[in-house]
Amino acid sequence: MGRRRRRMDKEASARAGAGARTLLDAIAALSRSLPAGPNPEIFRRAKFDRPEAAPALWQLLFRLLAPLQVDRATASLGPGAQARWVKAVLCYLGYPRPALAQLPEDGSHGSRELLLTFSWLLAQGPLLEWLLAQTCVQLGDQVPTVECEVLTSPGLAAIQMDAEGPVDLRRLQWLMGKLRFQWQRLICSQQEQCALLSKIHTYTHGCHSDRNLGHLSVTETEMLRDPEGIHQQLRALEQENARLEAALEWRRYEPVFWQWMDTVLGACPPEGPAAPMFRSRIPEHECGKLELATLQEELQTLQEELQALRELLCEEVLSRRQAWEAQVGGLGRGPEWSAARQTLQQNVDQELLALQQSWKQDRSPSLPQGPHRLVKIKAGSAGAKGLPVAEVIRLLRSQEASLEAVLCKLQGQCQQELARLVGTVPGLIWILPPRC
Amino acid sequence: MSIVTVQLGQCGNQIGFEVFDVLFNDSQCSQGFCSKRENEAYQTSCKERFFREENGVPIARAVLVDMEPKVINQVLSKAAQPGRWKYSPHACFCQKQGSGNNWAYGYSVHGPKHEESIMNLIQKEVEKCDSLSGFFIIMSIAGGTGSGLGAFLTQRLQDHYSNALKMNQIIWPYGTGEVIVQNYNSILTLSHLYRSSDALLVQENDAVHKICARLMKIKQISFRDINQVLAHQLGSVFQPTYSAEGAFHYRTNPLGDLMEHLVPHPEFKMLGVRNIPQMSENSLAYSTFTWAGLLKHLRQMLISDAKMDEGIDWQVRPPLPRLPPLGKTSLNREQRFNTSLANLVILRGKDVQSANLGGFEDPALYTSWLGPANAFSVWKTPRAFNRYERSAALVSNSQAFVKPLDAVVGKAWNMFASKAYIHQYTKFGVEEEDFLDSFTLLEQVVASYCNL
Repeated sequence: MGRRRRRMDKEASARAGAGARTLLDAIAALSRSLPAGPNPEIFRRAKFDRPEAAPALWQLLFRLLAPLQVDRATASLGPGAQARWVKAVLCYLGYPRPALAQLPEDGSHGSRELLLTFSWLLAQGPLLEWLLAQTCVQLGDQVPTVECEVLTSPGLAAIQMDAEGPVDLRRLQWLMGKLRFQWQRLICSQQEQCALLSKIHTYTHGCHSDRNLGHLSVTETEMLRDPEGIHQQLRALEQENARLEAALEWRRYEPVFWQWMDTVLGACPPEGPAAPMFRSRIPEHECGKLELATLQEELQTLQEELQALRELLCEEVLSRRQAWEAQVGGLGRGPEWSAARQTLQQNVDQELLALQQSWKQDRSPSLPQGPHRLVKIKAGSAGAKGLPVAEVIRLLRSQEASLEAVLCKLQGQCQQELARLVGTVPGLIWILPPRC
Repeated sequence: MSIVTVQLGQCGNQIGFEVFDVLFNDSQCSQGFCSKRENEAYQTSCKERFFREENGVPIARAVLVDMEPKVINQVLSKAAQPGRWKYSPHACFCQKQGSGNNWAYGYSVHGPKHEESIMNLIQKEVEKCDSLSGFFIIMSIAGGTGSGLGAFLTQRLQDHYSNALKMNQIIWPYGTGEVIVQNYNSILTLSHLYRSSDALLVQENDAVHKICARLMKIKQISFRDINQVLAHQLGSVFQPTYSAEGAFHYRTNPLGDLMEHLVPHPEFKMLGVRNIPQMSENSLAYSTFTWAGLLKHLRQMLISDAKMDEGIDWQVRPPLPRLPPLGKTSLNREQRFNTSLANLVILRGKDVQSANLGGFEDPALYTSWLGPANAFSVWKTPRAFNRYERSAALVSNSQAFVKPLDAVVGKAWNMFASKAYIHQYTKFGVEEEDFLDSFTLLEQVVASYCNL
């Protein structure tokens, strides 16, 4: 009851127009929904550019930008290195304000600039949702779908010469062999993991209270074996719940925060021309009306040009078609003609199909993205929902095939390059090593 | 992860039995000089790797193959004694007629003829593993069945299980062997294995014989004595050791780790084992060792290419760094120095964390193109092995086999030049061309090792 009354109070005051209390609640909610969010007071101090707020904000930005996997490795970074990291990542993301780059890395001042940076990140996209998804407590076994992207670019990387002089070829062969063994081991351990997972799923068949699932996951089995683990899971779930609630609350009062951020921006001394922006989705209130008007004008012209081009294209197609039909009309319509027509039709169909497939692949997949719970179901059983395994395998196969094609192409290029290099040395015979 | 052992021929089956016996007895041994929990983790790891359980009895993950029933029956009955481990009765393949020390017969006749049945047995054993790390193929190189059929089967395993690792545990014949064609057989085996196996772990009969005589003080040395020493060496390498994660986490894939450390290069696949201390059970009770002492000796055994901790040449020193290329005068002395491509030291026993391995991290021990950071690694466990309070084993990929290999190739070439006994091979489809290919390949291997 108390909570509801407080919430209603908040709504009332929000309607009254950004009362100080609501702002405080908004910031507090935001802070609670962030991992290791700072004290709300830090935000207030940062508005007035108080130096003591800077270290906490550097740390917050670092936590937001450092990927979870490297957390352990980067946790040991000193504040200076963390700040450099943050600057580098923001530069990569296209952060537009040059003032950030000039901030000292010891955290001695610049808290307002950091607050602006933080709000820019927040405005960029679904930051909060992403963070919440990252730290979500997983009870089921996850199957990673289609996470692998084609990373390789079809082209040789620039040849890098070592400053220390030429490298012994045997060293390269050694390292290559090492990679091959590591690859084999990786496959082995993946197979082992799958075999064990399958065992758990088979042995716990019928244990799950949810009939759709039927069996337990690794985490659930672990909890059965170790009751202490249940308390830990419970705590983790409670924490996640609290953060989710805070995030919901934050959504309600978000406008108040942005109004307040406007005043923060207003408190900044005017800057020189900003660096060109990439990738930024500018929140509307930051964009001057003048700029908006020019943008609209540009859009208008572009649309008109597009329309004109389209009409031109239509005319062109029409005249071509007429010319072609006239040409064809002159030919006899014998059996050869129809055979030729059929093959043409087939070719076109095939190409169309190939195009459609590659388009589908590029759009990667009609499958839902994100984590999925791995559940063992008998083939053909009714009511099977979710991700069809066959589909995932097909997708992975096609990715494998395209990666292999890239590999082949790269190897071909390497061999050509080698052959060319060998050609420049007279009297040298090049024999490929047996298995490399 | 599990390893499936394939025991081939008389030699492979006898040694295979001793290996499983050492592994089992050591893991059951209460004198581990460590805590109960430590001991249990060690036992579990060993069992998963080499044994499976059927009705509470440990069954060796092994397939036994021979063309004569005698030896297989012997080892089966030895393993059938109560209170021990056993072989699966369904994992044996034998015939009535051997190969008569003719490599070609084993490779070209027995191989294709029995391929399907043997591969089926192996397949069944593989299916009983949760995960397969690889194969351990025990065979001699100089005979007929073990070496000929072994070379054939290794190729088939490479075709069928390309993602599983293959280590051939091979027994180098006595220099003064009785089989007249042993050098032919050896070069054929080695060259075929070099193409299809990932690593050749070589143990020399001559060296082990000396160990039995001088260190174990055995008066009348039997094959059993020799095989027990061989098995002890293998056990000291493949029994569980800690992984990088630290205490109680035992390495899950030792075969993979070992190969990644030692044999990634396709031209350098020959591995040798040295271990210290090695002595009779009676003297063991009255001996104590320090890590510093053991490692000092082991290092000198490595660089002077001594097979045992006795009669080591202490004069051999690594070449001094940054000296101009050696002149003719010093060449002879320097030749005695055994350059390593890569080394793996395995330490087992008390206070193992205190052992200082600085001596093995000296760049002078290695080639110019692979420094100690890449070429040296160490495995440890505080669990003692086979009642030795402290023991060390060294697996190395070094120049040590240049001399014996060169000698075998030389002797075989001399016979081949006079076309002696070639018809025994051509009769079964192994042509002169195959011999020439083998010579070429092995001479290349010798040259590669010489130019390290």
